[in-house]
Amino acid sequence: MKHITKVYGNLYANDDVHLSLNQGEILAVIGENGAGKSTLMKILYGLEQPTEGEIYINGQLQRFRSPHDAMAKKIGMVQQHFMLFKTCTVAENIVYGSEPRKKKIFFDREKAVKITEELCEKYGLYIDPRRIVGDCPVGLQQRVEILKVLYQNADIIIFDEPSAVLTPQEVHELLNTMKKLAGMGKSIIIITHKLHEVMEVADRVMVMRQGKYVTEMNKKDTNIEEMSYLMVGRRIVTTKVEPQETTGVVLDIDNLVLNSGEGKNILDGFNMHVDAGEIVGVAGVSGNGQPELIQCITGLMKPTSGRISLAGEDITGKTVGEIREAGCACIPEDRYLWGCATQATLVETAVMAHQYKPELSRRGLINVRNMQKFTNKLLNDYDVRHSGLSQKAGELSGGNIQKLIVAREIEQNSTLLIAAEPTRGVDIGAMEFIHNRLLEKRKKGDAVLLISSELTEIMSLSDRIYVIYNGKAAGEFTRAEATEEKLGILMMGGTLNEESKNV
Amino acid sequence: MNSAYIASILNSTLRSTTPILLAALGSAICSRVGVFNIALEAQMLIGSFFSIVVNYFTGSVLLSVMAGMLAGSLVGLIVAILQVKYKAADMVIGTSLNLLVNGATSFLLYLIFGLRGRLVDNRLVSLSKINLPLIKDIPFLGRVLENLTIIDYLAYVIAILLFIYLFKTVSGFRTLSVGISKEAAESLGTKGTRVQMRMVVLSGALCGLGGTVLSMGQVTMFTENMTSGRGFIAMAAASLGQNHPIITIVSSLFFGLCQGIGLALQNVIKSQLTMTLPYIATIVALVVFSRRSMKSKKAAKLEKM
Amino acid sequence: MKKVKMSENKLASSLLRGLKALRQPALATVFGLFVGALVILACGESPFPVYKEMFTKSFIQPFYLFSTLTRATPIIICAMATAMAWRAGYINIGVEGQMIAGSFAATAAALYIPGPPVLVAILAWLIGMIVGALYALIPAILNWKYQVTMVITTLMLNYVANYITSYFVTYPLKDPSGDGLSLQTVQLSKEMWLPRLSTTSTFNAGFIVAIAVVVFMLFITKRTVFGYESKMGGFNPSFARYGGAKQVKVMLVTMALSGAIASLGGMTEVFGLKYRFADGMLTTPSYAWTGLMAALIADLNPVGMLVVSIFLSGLQIGGSAIQRSMGIPLEIATIIQCCITLFVSVKLVIRFKKHKKGNKSGIVSSQEGKEVSEA
Repeated sequence: MKHITKVYGNLYANDDVHLSLNQGEILAVIGENGAGKSTLMKILYGLEQPTEGEIYINGQLQRFRSPHDAMAKKIGMVQQHFMLFKTCTVAENIVYGSEPRKKKIFFDREKAVKITEELCEKYGLYIDPRRIVGDCPVGLQQRVEILKVLYQNADIIIFDEPSAVLTPQEVHELLNTMKKLAGMGKSIIIITHKLHEVMEVADRVMVMRQGKYVTEMNKKDTNIEEMSYLMVGRRIVTTKVEPQETTGVVLDIDNLVLNSGEGKNILDGFNMHVDAGEIVGVAGVSGNGQPELIQCITGLMKPTSGRISLAGEDITGKTVGEIREAGCACIPEDRYLWGCATQATLVETAVMAHQYKPELSRRGLINVRNMQKFTNKLLNDYDVRHSGLSQKAGELSGGNIQKLIVAREIEQNSTLLIAAEPTRGVDIGAMEFIHNRLLEKRKKGDAVLLISSELTEIMSLSDRIYVIYNGKAAGEFTRAEATEEKLGILMMGGTLNEESKNV
Repeated sequence: MNSAYIASILNSTLRSTTPILLAALGSAICSRVGVFNIALEAQMLIGSFFSIVVNYFTGSVLLSVMAGMLAGSLVGLIVAILQVKYKAADMVIGTSLNLLVNGATSFLLYLIFGLRGRLVDNRLVSLSKINLPLIKDIPFLGRVLENLTIIDYLAYVIAILLFIYLFKTVSGFRTLSVGISKEAAESLGTKGTRVQMRMVVLSGALCGLGGTVLSMGQVTMFTENMTSGRGFIAMAAASLGQNHPIITIVSSLFFGLCQGIGLALQNVIKSQLTMTLPYIATIVALVVFSRRSMKSKKAAKLEKM
Repeated sequence: MKKVKMSENKLASSLLRGLKALRQPALATVFGLFVGALVILACGESPFPVYKEMFTKSFIQPFYLFSTLTRATPIIICAMATAMAWRAGYINIGVEGQMIAGSFAATAAALYIPGPPVLVAILAWLIGMIVGALYALIPAILNWKYQVTMVITTLMLNYVANYITSYFVTYPLKDPSGDGLSLQTVQLSKEMWLPRLSTTSTFNAGFIVAIAVVVFMLFITKRTVFGYESKMGGFNPSFARYGGAKQVKVMLVTMALSGAIASLGGMTEVFGLKYRFADGMLTTPSYAWTGLMAALIADLNPVGMLVVSIFLSGLQIGGSAIQRSMGIPLEIATIIQCCITLFVSVKLVIRFKKHKKGNKSGIVSSQEGKEVSEA
């Protein structure tokens, strides 16, 4: 790829970027969120057209108008958000695009199963072809994605942030798969910001920052510190957390069960407690009941059985309003689903769950001026970049809207704050900011429940960590006890014997 | 109630089912590709109107049917362009097209024929009625299938063909995939928007055909707003049929039966009251069905979260 | 310093927004009239004289202006009823049915409850509103308890209300003094009639009711927690739920209000204009649907809906005028109306698309401000 430039509006997502890839090599493209890695890969895969620049494969100039063109040139991509049909079977997903046919027009599903079995055999990646994809755990879904790309006979495989949703063990397996594929002659590009993965698999590393090509080097000539410096453009200060005494239980969850209605228990006797003045992390692979746990605590769902109490008060089965009243605030995991409405103004976004506060409304009548004042205070205190109170929430950048939501929830001044994925998809600056705010909240003596798929985030902030697996608390660690390996084993449903505990 | 009476009810059931079934199939294929098309009413009504217009001037049944389908597809094309391509709000497009076609047909009726309300003319040719040679002599069955038009049979054939297309062919598989995840389908090179547009236009043609049956089947005439909510009943039929062509046949027959019974009861109860039957039945059916499916729906919802 | 600058900005931006909000429907109207002109040309007339005639006989001559305002009364109210539900995300296309049910009940009450006319009239209006509200609650409750989509149920209930009232005025409540063809109830006693506001036309106090509804709507949307919660629920129900809004209550109140307002539309027609309930009196002029169009064109903004409703009513009055004098069917008004709505929706789309793109780049933008200025 030469001189690739991509402009959105008047914004340079890619600015004169070069990339080269040799056969059988693993190239890591690293950079922060928003550095333009994904855009570059989308261009290579034909999902986006470059504003300027050319792509050559084996010396030949190419033009990719759609992924179809890219596939024809044996380029495949394992996307960060899986491009799978969840209600279809594994085999159907894999053969999509060049399905085996009967009598020219009919879909030969039996043959599709056979093809899948052969493919599994050939690459040593096993999966049941008849299984419905939606029922598979995330690691297996990713395997389907990889098999799909292999079925398309790709020689160049792009992995976009492949480890984001995996447990450490799954990541390990994935990296092995990559090495194996590279050994079979496939060329691989991995986009990531996790540097230890780079150190483990890559042959060569390319760094991007703010849409620009920064440098590239062989892995053996570099180290993690240098790469992180090049990525961010400055040294990262790791947050130091002072130890602090806790005072009394705030949230107590006792034997919580949530039944899906099909006899399956999504939460299956979950126990935990969060004390005043501590941050408690919940680690787990997605799909093990984390969102349901939050929704049961906040009242969005009614648990089947069990007891949840908040500051001594039983809140099981109460309404969202009552639970908020009792002292619970929540930074939701999906800001566009739960956290805001894109068409709402900043005022309307900021006053949510504050609307019954006496300063803002009396007897159902709104005090418009106070609402504006309140919103301005939040926007200023939390450094939300905006262009006016009547701006729409959807017009803010992801990091800024997240800051506004964090502001809104922290300013509830509740005894318990639930923070679910509080920094998902925000840049490093906003991430540090939000982390500091959570620590401040802890310092004030309130309780914080942190649920995150970023293990590093959990490990750096939490005083205590629970691992959630299959709707149960699979383990509990203090900050000192927790290691990535131990958490990982429990996250996968394994058990710790005495030996590994001592590791 | 004697058997002749029942046979005549079943006969009118079959006749009333056809337009609903055709429109319901149109609704089903739209839902299957993730498009909420509520301009079904417009697509049907314009089909009724233009088939009668062409009928009036040419006297050709074939041309009339084609005109009805073409007119329906054109409205479908408008939906496809505005709603699918430019992502305009489905409710806005649907309701305004329904009203637009209602106004436009009345307008044209006056402009072309100088008439208000309805067009009846002895020049109009109706769809030819078929009486199957052997079956017509079987006492009960012969009466049930008496004087049906070719489209009454064709509707079921279309449903079966749609089933085969969607669930057995490669092209159908890709079409369905767009409804499951348009993003994923597009990432694999299927032109999602184009597939959706194609299905919406096809739904227009099916509804247009349904409209044609309405104006050239049992009666041969056009009345203002003659579809009177059938597009919405068809939506209900499709959703009760889980947007599956074969199950949709069953649910459409149910609504046809309600209309058949409504017509039959007119001799006993005042017609204004029997006319409400299909509408009330639609609501009741939706309630009963949803109650049964509540559990599975809840589970699906949980999965999504 | 900073404060002054901010308020200046605020003023400018709010002005700009006001203009932008107007630009959409105005452009769409021009397009709608353009399509209308094409249709008129196709009829073999020339558009300008036709439009001139149309607007003279709807807005300019006082008699016609009064007719326009009279006809606008139920349209305005129906627009508000529609907007009340739609803004909260409940697609109520059954305003027509709620209007019929409510105003029929009011008429029946006014005719058959004994007592002093003024008191009975007040009682009748109350009963009408309650029946309208209850009729709107049927789909709301079915939606709440069984998740049945309101789009279908509300529409189905239109037909049910229409046929049942049609039955009543054809048989049990038919005015026996009229000829066999006029399907209507007997006349209300004169004391119950709404006063006329003009001596030369039928323009009556119903219009004041309509304005009161607009004011009520403004109050609800801008000044109440209920208005806030229902608006958020319309934007994103999950967001409202997560914020602790009492959604079931909001939905039921919203639909009940919508139905009650809808019934007011019918009652102004009964008590202000026709003085009786007649079969098809509310469906034939398609008040509810015109109101729906107005609500869509004005993007659910109360004052906007008021203006648009009057404009659409004028189109219809002008439309019937040119039908009489020039032989162009009055449905030309419907055609223009629907085209305006379609164009408004398309315009909205383009705006939305731009907005989305801006958003996409916005995620990257916080770090790349410098490059932009260089570019």
